[in-house]
Amino acid sequence: MAAALQVTRLLLAPRSAVLVAVRGRKSRTDPVAKSKEDRIKGPPPVDPVEMVVLRERFTEYHSTVRALRLEFKEGVLRKKYEEETGSLAEERARQEAEEHRALMDFNNQENLRILELRMSRIQMEQEEAERKQVEAAIQREQEQQEFIKEKEREIMKLQEDAKNFITLENLDQRIEEALDNPKNYNFAIDKEGRVVKQTTLQ
Amino acid sequence: MVHLSSLLLKKYHGGYVVLRLALAGHKQANRPFYRIVAAYNKRARDGKYIEQLGTYDPLPNIYNEKLVSFNFDRIKYWIGCGAHPTKPVAKLLGLAGFFPLHPMTITEAERQRAQTQLIATGTEEGLQEEQKEAEV
Repeated sequence: MAAALQVTRLLLAPRSAVLVAVRGRKSRTDPVAKSKEDRIKGPPPVDPVEMVVLRERFTEYHSTVRALRLEFKEGVLRKKYEEETGSLAEERARQEAEEHRALMDFNNQENLRILELRMSRIQMEQEEAERKQVEAAIQREQEQQEFIKEKEREIMKLQEDAKNFITLENLDQRIEEALDNPKNYNFAIDKEGRVVKQTTLQ
Repeated sequence: MVHLSSLLLKKYHGGYVVLRLALAGHKQANRPFYRIVAAYNKRARDGKYIEQLGTYDPLPNIYNEKLVSFNFDRIKYWIGCGAHPTKPVAKLLGLAGFFPLHPMTITEAERQRAQTQLIATGTEEGLQEEQKEAEV
């Protein structure tokens, strides 16, 4: 009642700056204000006639709301039931199973195809490897042969050279020969290979 | 208070779902705007909610209307799952016609009417007194 009076007073009175009561201005330990020391707070005033009417209205309201709530609950349950075990659910399950089977078949086909490709590729690679091995063996054989030949050539060359070696028996003869045939290395040569025996050094 | 916790709704720290008004964070002083929201009870008023089910603008617009919107389909679902509307949401739903009219709306209206009549009779009496004084 008092609140309604205040509201109407505000509506009728001219608008001015309204002080808003900020909640919690005082902390726990602040003392009570002097103007409020003797205030004894009681329950809000209740009109008995209005209370009776209100109580009746509330019971009606609550029962209506409960009925509505139960209706909605039933609706939700029904929807859930239909989702899981309705007429469309079986169709959907069947279609999904079919799709799954088709996809699995496709997958198996693909696997087989790829398997074949893979087998052929592996076979090719094996053949390649064998061929390479054979070639490598041949190469090694050839290299060995060449090596042996090279060594033989060197031996022959050495044998050839051995005939011109200076030994103890040839020593005197060779010294005589060397002293008899003095060799002159003073010659010039140009880029085209023409030898010039005439030099300034003499 | 009776908690009508339903079997359809999963328990969340022993809480329950409510349909309530949450301030939409527009961060403008003196311009509130509410969202009608399904949220768990223990969450902050403006905190994370499960689903938005409507709006409520408390300030009247240029045609002197306060605009409210509801998603009745989802509200039915949530109430079916065991959500509780708060008092202001129940009042708004009652005014919308989805729920029966809230008793407090009717009582407030009656009180308002009685008040206006009292003031009207008071002003009439005041005017009559003035007239009598003028005559006298």
